[in-house]
Amino acid sequence: MTPHKRSLLDPAVLISSGPLTVLLLLFFLGPIVLTLLLTFQETEFYRLQWAWSLKTWSGVFSNPTYWTVIGRTLMFSVESTVICLLVAYPVAYAMATRLVQYNHHIVILVAFAFLTDAVLKAFGWVLILDKNGIGNWLLAQIGLGPGVIDFLFTPSATLLGVVYSLSAYPLFTIYLSLARIDRDLILAAQDAGAGRLRIFWTITLPLSKPGLLAGAVLVFVLSLGTFLESKVLGGGKSPLASELIRQTFETRVNWPLGAALTTVLVVLASAALAGLGWLLARQNRKGAAE
Amino acid sequence: MTGHRSTTRLINGLLGGWTVAYLVFLYIPILALVFSSFSDSRLLTFPSDGYTLCWFGELLQKQDFLPAVWSSFIVAFITMILATILGTAGAIAWMRYSFRFQTTFRVLSFLPILFPQLLLGIMMLLWFSVLGNLFHFSMGLVTLIIGHVIYASPFVLIIVAVQLYGFDESIEDAARDAGASNWTVLRRVTLPILWPGISSAMILAFLLSWGNFYLSYSLNGTERTLPIFIFSGIAVGSSPIYPALATLNFVPALALVLLADFFRRRAARKV
Repeated sequence: MTPHKRSLLDPAVLISSGPLTVLLLLFFLGPIVLTLLLTFQETEFYRLQWAWSLKTWSGVFSNPTYWTVIGRTLMFSVESTVICLLVAYPVAYAMATRLVQYNHHIVILVAFAFLTDAVLKAFGWVLILDKNGIGNWLLAQIGLGPGVIDFLFTPSATLLGVVYSLSAYPLFTIYLSLARIDRDLILAAQDAGAGRLRIFWTITLPLSKPGLLAGAVLVFVLSLGTFLESKVLGGGKSPLASELIRQTFETRVNWPLGAALTTVLVVLASAALAGLGWLLARQNRKGAAE
Repeated sequence: MTGHRSTTRLINGLLGGWTVAYLVFLYIPILALVFSSFSDSRLLTFPSDGYTLCWFGELLQKQDFLPAVWSSFIVAFITMILATILGTAGAIAWMRYSFRFQTTFRVLSFLPILFPQLLLGIMMLLWFSVLGNLFHFSMGLVTLIIGHVIYASPFVLIIVAVQLYGFDESIEDAARDAGASNWTVLRRVTLPILWPGISSAMILAFLLSWGNFYLSYSLNGTERTLPIFIFSGIAVGSSPIYPALATLNFVPALALVLLADFFRRRAARKV
């Protein structure tokens, strides 16, 4: 399809892109800009003071507690990204190569689980992971001693919950890039005598890289904002950044500080996204050169 | 070649097994909730003594969750309409035209998906508090809907854009040659062809809003949607009422996913 060159003021362009742009400028960019501005204000007796200063930022940079939490959140996001990719890749691979006739059913099953209320799913995990819960009961039924599952209200439970809610993203991105691989390429490699492992390493894996990268960044960025899982499953002993931020707003009523911590997280997320854009652009250039 | 064939079988088996295991994993908490909603014990522990429907009865008698269901429905319905219109229009601007600042438009309209939702919610909360002080309004259904529309529109946009990708424009030209106005072409040709994408996008937008916790948690004001109601409920203490509520909540979601699938199949048959 060839896009029509239009002027920015063409009625068709204005009607199709205008309303969404206005909405996003007003209620998406507006809040981002406001948050940035708030980080340069001060707070006194729980009230926001519009006085320009760097006090909040110097407070953020001089207090190691915040950085411990942010570091923990980063580590957590890396862990959940790696696990999500490891879990999702074989499923996506099976969908693209082996289970093509069932794809449609798998997509529906995944979509329904993905779209179900996240609070309910987290609560469902509590029922499973509880010491006297369904998980241990089932394990006892098949002869594995009592109390095998004992990690509810620990960071591992949070990790499980996040992998559970985010693994569908890389599943779909990886599947889309695997499904686009030309079968002839693989058949040609087979004819040339390449082994399975070699075909996977030299053809399949590199060609699925865009999907892997996109899925990785999605999981990484979204797990930076983990809150529900750590609240319901994690027990709150080692809080993640989002809990810290909520707390700063709710109990300390310190808007500038909360806004500054939010900014730090958003900057980290944007850095990951920019990195992805750069990598994909490089990959495209390489692909075009070949 | 027998060795080769048996490794093939082994790999197939492992991949298939992993996929099945993943699907089981996805349904573990959902089945646990359904199971618990029929369980005959007040503490949510296992094994339970027997099975009962009493929690559903208790739920229907108490009815304190009904306002939350109603708010959730209103918000999800209006979000669905607005996000579908904005997302579809946006997809046309993405795919059909090329204009100055199109890349900026693409980045801007896609960014809300890539934003951690809790942070987006907090930023919008700050924004609405400041605006609310200036213009004297408080948060509630309207702020919830704005937040959900911003979150759901990019999803609609992607789905409709995919549908537009394989669109044969000569059909539109033919209709125009036959004397149809632009509006008629849009209404009688373009939208019907895009309908499979638009209808599944609508359902997705509804469900994204219906199950949304992160944005609602910041933007609800005094209004409570179903996820917020359940979250505050389980924070206070677990009760078998919540699994029952969850089970009731699964039914419409399942129906909608199947409906989306039905639209998709019918469209696939037509082609």
